[in-house]
Amino acid sequence: MIGDNPWLDGLLRLLVIAVAIPLAVIVLNYLERKVIGRVQNRLGPMRVGPYGTLQAVADTIKLLTKEDVRPHSADRWTFELAPYVVVVPSVVALVTLPLTEDLFVRNLALGLFFILAVSTLSIVGLVMAGWGSDNKYAILGAMRSAAQLISYEIPLVMAAVAVAMVAHTPDGRGTLDLVQIVDGQGRVPYIVWQPLAFLIFTVAALAELYRQPFDIPVAESEVVGGPFVEYSGMRWAMFMMAEYVNLVLLSALTAIVFLGGWNWPLGNEVGPALQVPLMAVKTAIFILFFFWARAILPRLRIDQLMAYSWQVLLPLAFYQIIANGLVLVYDWPDVVLGVLSGAGAMAAIFLTYRMARRPAPVRRPVAVAATSMREVKV
Amino acid sequence: MASTAPQHRHELETIDLHINVGPQHPATHGVFRMVLTVNGELVEDCDPVIGYMHRGNEKLPENCDYRQIIGYHDRTDYLAQFNTEWTYCLAVEKLMGLEVPERAEYIRVILGELNRVASHLMWAGAFGTDVGFFGTPFMYAFREREVIQDLFEAVTGERMMYNYFRPGGVAWDVPDDFEEHCRYVIDHVRRGIDDLDALMTDNEVFLARCRGLSPVTPEQAINWGLSGPMLRACGVKHDLRRAEPYSIYDRFDFEIPVGTQGDVYDRYLVRMEEMRQSLRIVEQALKQMPKNGPIMAEGLKRVLRPPSGEVYARTESPRGEYGVYIVSRGADKPWRHKVRGASFCNLSALREMVIGNYVADAIIILGSIDIVLCEVDR
Amino acid sequence: MLGILKTIAASVGIAARKPVTVQYPTEKKQLPQRSRGFPTLLWDFEHDEPFCTGCQVCARYCPTDCMTVTMKDNPKYAEGKSPRKKIVDTFYIDYARCMRCDICVEVCNFDAIVMDNTWRSVEMSRFDRQDLIMDLEALLRPSKTGQLPNPFREPMGVAHSGWRPKSEGAERGGEEE
Repeated sequence: MIGDNPWLDGLLRLLVIAVAIPLAVIVLNYLERKVIGRVQNRLGPMRVGPYGTLQAVADTIKLLTKEDVRPHSADRWTFELAPYVVVVPSVVALVTLPLTEDLFVRNLALGLFFILAVSTLSIVGLVMAGWGSDNKYAILGAMRSAAQLISYEIPLVMAAVAVAMVAHTPDGRGTLDLVQIVDGQGRVPYIVWQPLAFLIFTVAALAELYRQPFDIPVAESEVVGGPFVEYSGMRWAMFMMAEYVNLVLLSALTAIVFLGGWNWPLGNEVGPALQVPLMAVKTAIFILFFFWARAILPRLRIDQLMAYSWQVLLPLAFYQIIANGLVLVYDWPDVVLGVLSGAGAMAAIFLTYRMARRPAPVRRPVAVAATSMREVKV
Repeated sequence: MASTAPQHRHELETIDLHINVGPQHPATHGVFRMVLTVNGELVEDCDPVIGYMHRGNEKLPENCDYRQIIGYHDRTDYLAQFNTEWTYCLAVEKLMGLEVPERAEYIRVILGELNRVASHLMWAGAFGTDVGFFGTPFMYAFREREVIQDLFEAVTGERMMYNYFRPGGVAWDVPDDFEEHCRYVIDHVRRGIDDLDALMTDNEVFLARCRGLSPVTPEQAINWGLSGPMLRACGVKHDLRRAEPYSIYDRFDFEIPVGTQGDVYDRYLVRMEEMRQSLRIVEQALKQMPKNGPIMAEGLKRVLRPPSGEVYARTESPRGEYGVYIVSRGADKPWRHKVRGASFCNLSALREMVIGNYVADAIIILGSIDIVLCEVDR
Repeated sequence: MLGILKTIAASVGIAARKPVTVQYPTEKKQLPQRSRGFPTLLWDFEHDEPFCTGCQVCARYCPTDCMTVTMKDNPKYAEGKSPRKKIVDTFYIDYARCMRCDICVEVCNFDAIVMDNTWRSVEMSRFDRQDLIMDLEALLRPSKTGQLPNPFREPMGVAHSGWRPKSEGAERGGEEE
């Protein structure tokens, strides 16, 4: 608590977030280009500022001053409001994200639930953008994003719920409070006891962020940016900002839920001077993972993506929840939890391997009628 | 047009959605347009539209001297310039009965095969982008293509439009360090192909996208007039370098890779293996090449005047059979000049291959054909 | 998953390599001697006049018709200071049309035209197409001011036993071999 006035305190904390987020977006944007450049044997941005460090700043200025183009046939209000609908939930979700034991805006008893629930809302914004743009690529991308984000939201929530079920609290087990979840990981992070949930959560987070291999809604070579195709300047920058805020959010959430946040391995007593860097490093590991996945993985097809969610991730997430329930009911030790979940993780890897390697269904081209669609072409 | 346009009535009705992929689209590799009729994500009809790049490259040479035409052949297929020049030179040599000196033949083989590697590298990079990589295979491929182009620049002076082969030989001798330079190029390119291999060949996501996609039977392939890697991927062992060895291809030991399924993945594998075989040919040619000697046929006049007659010469260009048909009436200019473009004929199978697949797959199938729009439209 | 792990391992190895980027405007790749920029004319320092006699053979053989050449009597020949009876009067090359095919260099009887092999002729962007039409002065400037130290002339001597025209002017014909 800074000062005595809770309103002043809240405002100050919000201010920190309001400054920190754009900064984080700018830094991440630069880092992503550098990392991907390195993987591709390039240098990445090098011109603006020493080693191109100011490139993202220059891009921001350019985007802010760029003309905000709206297609003539676009649905005005839907088109112009969509960026806000995308960006606001991401930022709102940050409100309850704790960075250390007492570095947050407001800690909620339902923090995990709040973050997952609020960040889901941005799907509405994407569909609005796709519909409002009056563009076929955009509508295709919007449909894809609706399908993809909703189907991956479920495994994501399931995996988080599984951890929340077995999280150690002072008075037993089970909490949605993020601070308590971290406090329960004093000696062993939950990734050890819940590897399956961790796998599911990471893959689903990748899909939620629509990054490779799940960048189907915005696929550059297919739907040319999907819902964002008609946006320019500031509004486009807002979509990008939402993307990076989500990146930070989900990376930090993974670090909190599975890697013990600021608690493991240094313990709770070392103070924020060590806890904040520790938290930052753990978040950075996942951010780097997301960057790296973008650099080296191609894109899945929409049906494969849906199949993977509904046929592999979701049943395994249910398995994880049932296994956790059994452990809770019979009060088995944590080791059993780890073994059961580990078996599930092996099954997940095996199923993924099978799905990719099994003989593909043969769809021979059929003889098609020689009629041309030229007459009804739009 | 107006009468057949879909009418919006008050009751709900389903109308076809037409998507214009191209002429300005990241995945069409130039100015190609395909009008997809989609049902959700499934392609119901595909109408390829070509001709945006038409420059009269068959008619222009009919007003050119026999040596001026070479420059236009560079511009017909801008990724396999040496191969196109070579085909044209073979046609004129056949017409005039010229004997090409030994050393010139070896120079032609080395440059032609390296050009094939460069073209396939370009294809592999662009195809990787189509499949959804974030440019990484593209960068790896271009890194090595750059090395090859440096060699071409050192030999001919140009990076794209070489204008180096002449009827009867090559324009001028290679630099003194040519052999050394070639070995350097081979080592580098081998490593680059291995990088691409590691990145794509076993990648599960890549496999999931490419295997079993649009398989073509050998009968279909022959009926549709496919050639080059498209044909060999279907299991037809037909390579003009073997079937009717032009130049000195009967002196080299190389394999002709063929596929089994005829799907997109086989086309990828065939091209990757072809690159390795081409490097093998270059190595053998470097060993056998006479150290010095004439590089131009003797007794050529300043203005070439082939005798009356007609001739068709064909070679195995990276995209397939590239043919040149010339009718001469004894003048210094051809009376008729016709080009058979390999990717034009391969592209004609696009509609049959695309229908029934997903939109995302249509992009990959188009990419797997390896079209060069300059050669398609001419 | 195995394939993806292999991919990750390979990409880590590749990321550790030295990047291949050449930061172009500040550091430039060395161009080979044969590099073909746009055609320029050479300056004969011995007689203080261009090598070009304005014979128009390059203009006739240009596939894109991008050259315009006229010839005049050489005043220095009358004074006895030069072996050239005729000398170039005007010479225009439209670089916007030129396709850098090297044919003009190969057909030239007097070794008067070469392809510029410096970066200067590669960086030819202009705001107006008209600025790409080079006159005689602009074409001679690189050679005259010594900016063209090492032009590539090999096509003349080696490959063109057949294509090389009979020497029309006997002034320099014999020296070349």
